[in-house]
Formats: sequence, C-alpha cells, structure tokens
Amino acid sequence: MKNLKAILDKTQGLSGYRITESATASYELFFVHRKLETVRSTDTVSCDATVYVEHDGKVGDSTFHVYQSMSDEDIAAKVEAAKNRALLMFNEPYKLAPGGTLEAEIPTNLDKYAPEELGSMIADAVFAADTLPGGSINALEIFIYRTVFHVVNSRGVDKKQTVHRVMIEAIPTFTDEKQSVELYEDYRFTNFDPAKITAEISEKLKEAADRVTAQKLDKEMEINVVLRPEEIGELAYELAWDCNYQTIYSHANLHTVGDDIQQGSGDKLTITMKAVVPGSERSSYFDGDGSTLRDTQVIKDGVVSGSFGSIRFGQYLGIEEPSGALGCLRLEPGTLTDEELKAEPYIECVSMSGMQLDTYNDYIGGEIRLAYLHDGDSVKPITGISMSAKLSEVLATLRLHEKTDIRNAFDGPVKLLLKKVKVL
Amino acid sequence: MSFSKFLDSMRDDCRGLVKELSKSFDYVSILGTDVRSTVFRADKNMSDIRDSEGECGFVVKMHSGRSFYEYSCGDIKGDKKALAEKILKNVKIAGTLTDRQIETAKVSDVPMKQDFSIETDFDDFSDEYLLGVCKKISDELSKKDEKVLNAVGVMSPYSVSKLFVTENRELSQYYGWANGYALVIYNDGRMVEARHVEGSAKLAEVIEKTNASLDGVIDLARHLVKATPIKPGVYDVITDSSITGLIAHEAFGHGVEMDQFVKDRALAKYYVGKYVASPITNMHDGAAATRSVASYFFDDDGVLAHDTQIIKDGILVAGLSDLASATQLGTEPTGNGRRDNFSRKSYSRMTNTFFSPGKDKLADMIKSIKHGYMLFETNNGMEDPKNWQIQCTAEYGIEIVDGKLTENYVSPVVMSGSVPELLKSISMISDNFEVIGAGHCGKGYKEWVRVSDGGPNLKVRVKLG
Repeated sequence: MKNLKAILDKTQGLSGYRITESATASYELFFVHRKLETVRSTDTVSCDATVYVEHDGKVGDSTFHVYQSMSDEDIAAKVEAAKNRALLMFNEPYKLAPGGTLEAEIPTNLDKYAPEELGSMIADAVFAADTLPGGSINALEIFIYRTVFHVVNSRGVDKKQTVHRVMIEAIPTFTDEKQSVELYEDYRFTNFDPAKITAEISEKLKEAADRVTAQKLDKEMEINVVLRPEEIGELAYELAWDCNYQTIYSHANLHTVGDDIQQGSGDKLTITMKAVVPGSERSSYFDGDGSTLRDTQVIKDGVVSGSFGSIRFGQYLGIEEPSGALGCLRLEPGTLTDEELKAEPYIECVSMSGMQLDTYNDYIGGEIRLAYLHDGDSVKPITGISMSAKLSEVLATLRLHEKTDIRNAFDGPVKLLLKKVKVL
Repeated sequence: MSFSKFLDSMRDDCRGLVKELSKSFDYVSILGTDVRSTVFRADKNMSDIRDSEGECGFVVKMHSGRSFYEYSCGDIKGDKKALAEKILKNVKIAGTLTDRQIETAKVSDVPMKQDFSIETDFDDFSDEYLLGVCKKISDELSKKDEKVLNAVGVMSPYSVSKLFVTENRELSQYYGWANGYALVIYNDGRMVEARHVEGSAKLAEVIEKTNASLDGVIDLARHLVKATPIKPGVYDVITDSSITGLIAHEAFGHGVEMDQFVKDRALAKYYVGKYVASPITNMHDGAAATRSVASYFFDDDGVLAHDTQIIKDGILVAGLSDLASATQLGTEPTGNGRRDNFSRKSYSRMTNTFFSPGKDKLADMIKSIKHGYMLFETNNGMEDPKNWQIQCTAEYGIEIVDGKLTENYVSPVVMSGSVPELLKSISMISDNFEVIGAGHCGKGYKEWVRVSDGGPNLKVRVKLG
C-alpha cells in the first residue's frame, strides 16, 4: 500500500482518494467422509483504490484493483486511467470520511493456536459428534482466516482492523435401509469452543435422522409457521435494507420514516443495525470508507424510524452524521413463550432450501426440507413441503419469542411465529 | 485485447517453481490468472466506471502420491527455493491428521503445449462511448413512461487470461464475454423491477440487443404492476429458455457434479444407466458444448474442455468431474474443474448446461394446455442433489387458458417438487434453442462461478406456489 499511496499523493489533478486493502492468510482442510482430501493455504492481498476528481461543480470517481504483482509503473498507469474515467462522471459532490486513526482487533481466541493445530482440533470437534448409529459427516470443509483490513484516504483516515474467523461447512447425513438424507450446516465463529461445535453438529445429525422418517403433508394446510434465527435474520435484513441510504437514493425503497409496516396486533419489530455483535465475523469498527460505525435504529415498534448506510449516500440524503455501512443486526425480542406457542398446532422450520422474500411483490415463502409439526405434545417430522404467504399479512400478526440468540451477524429472537401460512 | 502480457512474462517463473516443488511432490501444477472486468453503469442520478470481479494471482496444486495440497498467492517472482519452503511450511498438517489422509491414484501429466485465444472487440469501444451507451439506456427508459422511478443501463465486458504449467504441460488461453442490462424501477400503485439481460462474446452485439430491448422492459413493467399471486397448485407449464435452463441447472446439473459422488452426496451416482427423465429428454454440459459465458479451452485443472452428454433419451449417462474427484473415482476428468478465483479450491462445476431442442412448435405446446402457465426469467434456484428436491423461482408467469396466452401475469412464481417427477413429466420440447449467458452459480452458498444455461421450451407438470 505504501507505493500506491505515494503514487496517489503525487498524481496531479486528483481531489481525493481512498485505498482499501484486505491481507488474508488462510488454512483450509477438506474432508471426504472422514478422510482428508486436500490441504490448502492462501496468502493473498486484495487491494482497491478509488480516485476522485472534482470538475464542473460535480465529482467523478473510479475504482480499480491493485495486484501484488504490479510494478510502480503499472500502478501509475492504472491511476491515470482511473483519473480519466472519473472525468467522464458528473455525480453530486460529497466529502470523504474525515481523518482518524485506529488499530483494532475483533476479540478472539483463535490467535492462540497455530493454524494446523486449530484445524485438527476443529476436525476432532466435528467428528466427535459423529456417534449416532446411521449418521455420518459425508463432507467437511474448515476455513481458518486471519484478515487485516486497512483503509486509508486522502483526508487522513488510516484505520486497520484484524479479524480472526472460522467457517465450517459440514454435511451431516443419515442413512437407513431405505434411504439416505442430508442437511447442510454452515457454522461460523470467532471464538473456538469445541463443545459448542460438537453440540451444533450433533443437533444437525439428529435433525438429519428425523428427515429420514419425515412424511409429506397429505393436504394443503393453513397453519402457524415458526422460523429459526437463520431465516429470521434473512427477513430482518430484507426489511432493514429498505432503510439503506443507497436504496432510498435510488428510489428503490418501499417505505419512508414514519410508515407503519405492521398494521396489526402482533409483536412489533424493533430493528437496530449494529457495528458489533459478539462472536460475529461481520463485526467491525469502521467500514470500507473508513467511517466510524454508529449503531442505528431503523425500525421502532413496527414503524420506520431511521436509515443507515455509507457516507456517500448519507450525504446525498442530507444526513448530518451518516451511520456508515453497518453489517450486523439486532432484532429486539417479543413476548412469545413456549407455552403460548403450544396453544395451537404449528410447523417449526428446521431446514429451508432458501427463503424467498420479495418485498415488492409482498411475498414470503420457500421450500422446507425439514420441519416439525407440533400439535399439543405430538411432534412429527415433515418434509417436501412449501410455504407461501403475503408478507404484509404475516408482518401484521407475527410474534417474536422472548428469548434471543446470536447467529452469525444476527442477534435476535430464537423463534418467530408467522400466523396462518399456506403450506402445501 | 489478447492474452495477458503479465502471465506471458511469468512462464519461466512457473516452470522454475514446478521444478523446485517437484522435489517434494509427485505432481505439481501452477495456474496463473489475470481476469479483468469493468462495469459501466448509469442511472437517473449517477454514473460509474469501475473494475469489477477481476483477479490476478497463482494457485499451486500438488499431489503427494496420496492426497492434494494447494497454495494460493498473488505473486511467485523471486527465489523459488525460498517460496517452495514457505509453501511446504504453510500446507503442513498436524500429526494427528496424517493417518486420516485420503489415498488416491496418482495424477497423470499428459504432455501438451498449446496457446488458445479468441480475440474480443472490447478495445473497439472507449470508456466514454460505453458510459454514453449506459446513459442513453437510462435516459430513454426514463422518457418512455413517467412512472419510471429509476432506470439503469449497464455494460460489462469481462476478459480471461489463464496460464497452466506442469512438468509436461503448458497451456494458455484468452477469451472474453460481455453482458448488458437494462432495468427499471416502476411504480404504478405498486413498485416493481423489470429488466432485460443480454450476453455475447461480442460487445457490439450486446449493445445493439440491449438498446433494442427497451420497449420490452417498459411493457414488462406495466404488466408486472398488475401481476397477482398465483394460486398454489399443480399445473401444466411451458418454460421459456431461461426457466428450462434453471431446471437443467438446479434439477440435474448440481446432482451430477461428481465431487458429490465421492462424498455420497448425490443420488445420481446410483442412477447412471437408468431412466431419470422422459425418453424425449437430452441434456448436455460443457465449456465446449456451446459458445457462452462458461466457454473456455481448458479448466482450472488444465483439462481440455468437453461436451458432456448427461442425459441421453431420458437415461443418465455421465457426470461432470474435476481432477480431484476423477482421481478418486478412477474416471477421466471432464474439464469441469473450476475455481471462484485463484485463492479458492477447484470443485466439479457446471459450465454451459442445457436441454437439447426437440421437434415441437411452441405454438402447438401452448395450444395443448387447457389451463396452466408459461414461466419466464430466472430469479433464483436451489438444488438438493442428495434428495432430489428442487426449488426454482421465476420472475413471472403468464396464464394460459384454452390453449392461449392471456394478459394475466402472476409474480413471483416458485416451482418446487421432486426432480424425477419433474423431468419425467416433460411431454413436449420445442425446436428452438437459446442459452442465456448471464448467470452465476454457487456451490452450497459460496464458490461463485459464471455459468450459462438454457435450451428449448419444455412442457412439464409441476407444483407452483
């Protein structure tokens, strides 16, 4: 980055610049069943530079990649080309993030281990769960990353943040004499806790076993449906994205501040975009512009209350102190208890092939690979079903569980109840 | 544009590192990548020209005679002995894992030296011209209807240079692809997005066809604002080429990626030689199967591109493999080893995946339906190769009543169900053919690569929601 910064500093005609650099070292293990097929290591630097040119009362900018193998002459040529591109653009002016320095590290215990030692311990923790007769882990991929993210700009920003993180992709599988079924597990963490990993994989293996005995529904039903944190997070992010500065600036937002998105009697949504959620790999103290991140509430009691996003689009909207591009999300819990939940039959989604959310078409739905049909004390696994509902109708009456949990970048209720959803 | 001068200058460095690492490994390959992509974009408020999904770096693949190792880095210049030592240190494993290493057959290194190239027309167009094309698209779309809230024009040329070096093999390739998009955000009491996507190896063709699509985009937006939800149920359905491709890709393509065979993750492993689809069904995949966004000369394992027939007259005949899975299965790799970028692992991946055309006329297919839908434009899809369930979303459908397309649009439409039931329900296949080269495909929820898919119109019976 040193050479790039020096070249940008001496380039005539630029009104500003920004450099973002991610230096990543990874150690990766790929298992086929319990056998180690491939060991990988990476040592890469991803670097982007953006140049800004003020002209004719407007500003142009252009972003280009800078590669490790580039010579100073290569970089100078890229800067010159980007400057010429910036001159072609007539966008509204805005100020880059104000100067500031920071050197931070997202809390972790992963840095206490050598990568090969950690990889082996994670593999042991995953395979320790493989004790269920008929169960197996048919594939396992372990990714251990250390990334140093560095942002510099021409206004004096010089911020650096180190993140250690692990991603596990495991395929818990259950096989009986008739069939073999699997579920997909994507588990991410910034603190190593072998017992937690084993418990997570064990739970998925049990669910895979339940999928073997799961039955299809014999008729269409209208029934309460319970989502788990992964899908609740998807829904919450979709709603929050409508409050992003860029969405608003490009006229793609459906709602504005003051709009009630839940006209009904359910638990009211309160959503805050956050910089840091404990244990989340997406936690950050600053964004790609170098802006300090400020937690921002976007929906309060079901009513749009704020907006969030990058400094550029924040300024375009006249926001005095833009929040920065926040990546984590907190959804406040509600009042739903397990006892209340049991009062009526409901379907608890365990594994979906992907939730379908379309706010423009007022739609929520998806194919459910495994769910539990709860009816009083009876719990039956079901499979091969799909659900669909009008998003506005389920938002009006949804219920949020009183307990919360953290899943990746989402911090919120452990269960969300959608009322009277069509299931086929 | 032509093959990367940088990669061309790195041939000796690659040979040197292969030679050094060959002291420790039975097989060593190096893939160098120099991929360039620029996005030109304009909407009503702003415009942008930026580097997009480019990459430039190296991945070293090694086989110990037992299992695989890989190391990715941005540069391999300098002292090869020191770099080889660093690589060995970085890929070492804990002693506890040594006994868990897989044992595969040795990797063959068939001699070949060849340079492949298809010239592109990307240099014929200046930055100023391409940004002007995008602005014109945005302006013209905005002028066509006051209900257009925003209109976007995008042009994106993408060029690929790759160099592959082993002890016996030295291959290079250069090719390109371009995409264009025209999109509106439209509000007539309800907000919708309508778009046209174009792709071709010739940027001139992309510009021409995207410019010609603008009336259609506005017409689609006007219909989509009036679209209603579909009543869930099982219907007779005609697919457009995009949805045909989505079925080929999600329903069966993922299921025949043979790295899933070695992990016992694909039911298809047990169906080779058996009927999996209606007897009129034929399906292919391959970088050499047609010319589209995933057409290359050799894959990221240095295996030459193939045209693989997956389904022949309804019978599953072959799968798609990368080097590692073929080595474990004892088969020949099919040229489907692909990486998201040089820092990611190679997996068995689809390329251009499509159903072959049939003999029916689209008009006859529509006429044959009493009540059903014709589905258009891929939104997204999810596969389940182990259990053969699918979920595919079409942007919209048009109701068919008494053999005629109506003005009734439904949106969105989610197609779900069992793969064999869907493929065996194919009762008519049209004689037209189109492959859409604008897609990206993930493996699980990561490892994104560019793919195309398509084919003719299909008549199927499927659950819609």
